Amino acid sequence: MTGPRPSPDRAAGESSPLPALAAIVAVARFQIDRLLTPPRLALAAIGVIFPTAVLLAAAKARDASLDHDLGAILLYALVPEAVCMLGLLVTISPAVADELERGTWVHVAVRPGGRRALLLGTWLAAVLWTGAVALLGLLLALLTGVISNGWSLLGPFTILVCLSCIGRAALFALPAVIVPKRSLVASVGVALVVEYLAGLIPAVINQLTVSLRLHTLLVRFMDWQRTLAPELQLLIDDRPPSAQVAAVLLLAVVYLAIAVAILEWRQFPPSEES
Amino acid sequence: MISLTHVTKLYGSVIGVNDVTVDLGAGAYGLLGPNGAGKTTFLGLVTGQLRPSIGRVRVFGERPFFNARVLRRIGYCPASDLTERSATPREWVRYLVQLSGFTPAASLKRADSTLEQVGLGEAARRPLSTLSKGMRQRAKLAGAIAHDPDLLVLDEPFDGLDPVARHELVSLVRTWARSRSLLVASHLLHEVESLQAGLAVILGGRLVASGTVHEIRDLIDTLPSEVRVVSTAPRRLAELACGCPEAEAVRFVGNDTFIVDTRVPRLLAERIGEAAIGEGILVRELVPGDRSLEGIFGRLVQLHRGATP
Repeated sequence: MTGPRPSPDRAAGESSPLPALAAIVAVARFQIDRLLTPPRLALAAIGVIFPTAVLLAAAKARDASLDHDLGAILLYALVPEAVCMLGLLVTISPAVADELERGTWVHVAVRPGGRRALLLGTWLAAVLWTGAVALLGLLLALLTGVISNGWSLLGPFTILVCLSCIGRAALFALPAVIVPKRSLVASVGVALVVEYLAGLIPAVINQLTVSLRLHTLLVRFMDWQRTLAPELQLLIDDRPPSAQVAAVLLLAVVYLAIAVAILEWRQFPPSEES
Repeated sequence: MISLTHVTKLYGSVIGVNDVTVDLGAGAYGLLGPNGAGKTTFLGLVTGQLRPSIGRVRVFGERPFFNARVLRRIGYCPASDLTERSATPREWVRYLVQLSGFTPAASLKRADSTLEQVGLGEAARRPLSTLSKGMRQRAKLAGAIAHDPDLLVLDEPFDGLDPVARHELVSLVRTWARSRSLLVASHLLHEVESLQAGLAVILGGRLVASGTVHEIRDLIDTLPSEVRVVSTAPRRLAELACGCPEAEAVRFVGNDTFIVDTRVPRLLAERIGEAAIGEGILVRELVPGDRSLEGIFGRLVQLHRGATP
């Protein structure tokens, strides 16, 4: 047996100039391909139709189209909250568990930067997929004309959907790496405890939630701050919208950095890779 | 190339590998041991999936865990089947090559050429779910070598393959390893032998022997064994067995059964058989001692713990 030959240099142009970014994009693309299956597409279709169905049912119950403010409240609860939350739960929560179950984790973990690329790529795919579903749902709801002056909501709600996806996908990445095999349950717990409970506590803790930022932005976009009841004023932040956007992006970066650090350091015994 | 110094890996209270010290230079090596011996843990440590609880692991002179420089030079093909079923081999290999830092175009080119090299050129665009296990193994192998690593690590690569697929894969790996380093974990001695690789034998998390195939075989030959004989004329046959130079001791364990201690059980069994035929003695049972791999492993452990050969 002869000794190994020295590793040949890669041919010119073979190496990606930004290998870390290229790997993240490769994972995102691969994950989106995985989402293009009939069951996942059916789930996405439900996510698109669901807000419109609820709004139409509400309008029918009132026997009139929904007024602007009520429509905005319902649309907020349905799209940036319900659709985004559910979409992210099924896309980012199983980020690691899915790989372990498919036996693909080890193939990725032995690549340089593979663990980081796996998490960030899956996060990107979750944001794109869920964001697309939520925005289509928003468009469909506005197209039905069930909310009076509904099209004025398109811009603000697009921002809310994007921020909801970016921030919450990062938040759900934490249970995905800490308890991969119970990640869905843990993510539901995080959604309830962190986002909905802590987000409504008027204290320092709610500063760490995406909910606070989204509530605040909704109030600002709808210009409700002057008419909001004093007790509800406690549930929003008084800084400007740009600060809320920056806060969500910062939270996402911090959550993702922690999740990447945990995943880089995690070890899965061979028995767990099944 | 690979150096483990007093390495112990614990999973809670379960020992994966236990105080292993080994230095493997460039070349091809087989890591031999029965299921559950600690082979996959050993490979996990080498490929940077696991950190040692105690001791030091170095690959290409560096710690492999969380080390992109080392991981870039390693190709790993795990034992578990590829259950990524909807992707095609081409998509799968391209994906893995991209994760190793190649551009999409270069990844696709390498995926195509490597799949051709492993004989999956025609099946490259079929979903993995439609391929046989042998083809999926080859797709896994392509994923492990397409980024041109210096060290290829294979965990039970021939498990579950039919003889034809096994032969093809052995040829592939052997060809590939002519110019690179190779570490193959297997529980089958003949598989490792067929790769013309050096051997490290692991059992119960301990490295119990290492050397060339010939050295291991010589070591095995020095281990005591026995031949069990059941006959209608045991005393006469035992007398004849005592005359064989290979016999070291004879003892009776029943009216019709005796056991001969020897270091060459197969040869002695042949001689006893020939003697029985010559004397017209009916032999009901003639069993050379346990030379199965498990039996050999067991004795290597005894030897490792200080038993006299």
